Amino acid sequence: SAAARRPWKLFGAMCLLRLPRITQPLEKEEEEMAALMGQIELEKSHYSDHEIRKLEEEERLKRRKESLYDEDEAPGKTVVMAQDLEDKWEQKFLQFKAAPRITDADKSNDRTSLNRKLDSNLMLLVKQKIGTQELWLLPQVEWQPGETLRSTAERAMATVLGDHIQAKVLGNAPYGIYKYKFPRAIRTEDNMGAKVFFFKAFLQSKDLSQAELKADYLWVTKKELGDYLKLEYLKKVNRFLLD
Amino acid sequence: VAAETVSPHALCSFSFCSSWLPQRALLRGSHWQSSLLVLRTSLPVRAQPKKKKKVDVKREQAQKDRMKKKIKKLEKAAPELIPIEDFITPLKYSESNRVRSLPTLSPEESERRVLLLKKWCFFKQKQDEAEKKAIKTLVESQQEALKELRLESEELYQAAIRRDEGLFPFERDGPSYTPPLPGYDPPEGKCVDITKVYTQ
Repeated sequence: SAAARRPWKLFGAMCLLRLPRITQPLEKEEEEMAALMGQIELEKSHYSDHEIRKLEEEERLKRRKESLYDEDEAPGKTVVMAQDLEDKWEQKFLQFKAAPRITDADKSNDRTSLNRKLDSNLMLLVKQKIGTQELWLLPQVEWQPGETLRSTAERAMATVLGDHIQAKVLGNAPYGIYKYKFPRAIRTEDNMGAKVFFFKAFLQSKDLSQAELKADYLWVTKKELGDYLKLEYLKKVNRFLLD
Repeated sequence: VAAETVSPHALCSFSFCSSWLPQRALLRGSHWQSSLLVLRTSLPVRAQPKKKKKVDVKREQAQKDRMKKKIKKLEKAAPELIPIEDFITPLKYSESNRVRSLPTLSPEESERRVLLLKKWCFFKQKQDEAEKKAIKTLVESQQEALKELRLESEELYQAAIRRDEGLFPFERDGPSYTPPLPGYDPPEGKCVDITKVYTQ
């Protein structure tokens, strides 16, 4: 094109999010409020059929104990009482064992596993070589003429995780930008620095056993990002992460 | 029924019967008259079929029009509203034996409740403000990125602000309380739908 070539290099980076699989634990106020709401609902309600049946059977038992003769029920007939039903249901519930909310990966703090921290978003971080340094950052790849920035970001994701990954990219527009100038040693008139455009995507494939991960990678939550990312980079990334 | 066309037989019998002569007993008005004592009650039937057709056709037409008018009136009337089952309390739940008997609230309890509601109000306000702030920073960050992109190249900018057709409708199952149990075998059973379906 006739326009002067801009001195900035363009990079497309992908922020791949694994969405939470379980609900977050309730805060103290939320728990107190939930208890109060339950109590108010109980006070305002009427007896249900099951409760009426229970009350009547209790009455009948009391009367039978006080009086000496059986009422109208033949002694051989077995009647299922509401209390028996409740006990049976309780037993059945106790027999069921649900999957634990805190997984093994949580206990061992295995940060490469996707099964960790099931109640929060997990982001993919990779170790890439920028200039002379090996840095932890969101997977990025340089933009090539002829493709949109979104496809650059998708290519970045494919280079790290392989082609068979299913992710829903949230729109064509970038979510954030990180601009930096090259160190004075390599900075020239035509090559001042780089602009990294961030895109967001939701991970949709269930497991990544098929993925061929070449580089070092980590799945971290928003709070743990600070352990790995540089300060300026972290500031820009935190702006577009909702948690 | 008035006779429109009078046959010549009928005419001569009429003139004969007007004068009460004894000869009348021996003669009949026409060969169509079967008995001697009876005055002609059945006129020759040649003209009758034509009259029947016209009158009947008209009558049937009038009946059909009346039926059509009735049907139109019924159709114009507003369709019957479908009752919303949730809003109609069945009568058996308003019996007096259903009312719960609980102890009344102590003043400490009501005081605690009011204070808890106020704390909740404050908690929710803070949560809402935090959410709105997060959304605002996200939008600002996106605007900044788009501005920088525009400085770089107009073509990439136009590609970025284009609408993403494949994004919506976006469906996702929400989080549950416990993660899915691997190798869980749910109990067998059939779900029978007994909701009442109303037609208008």
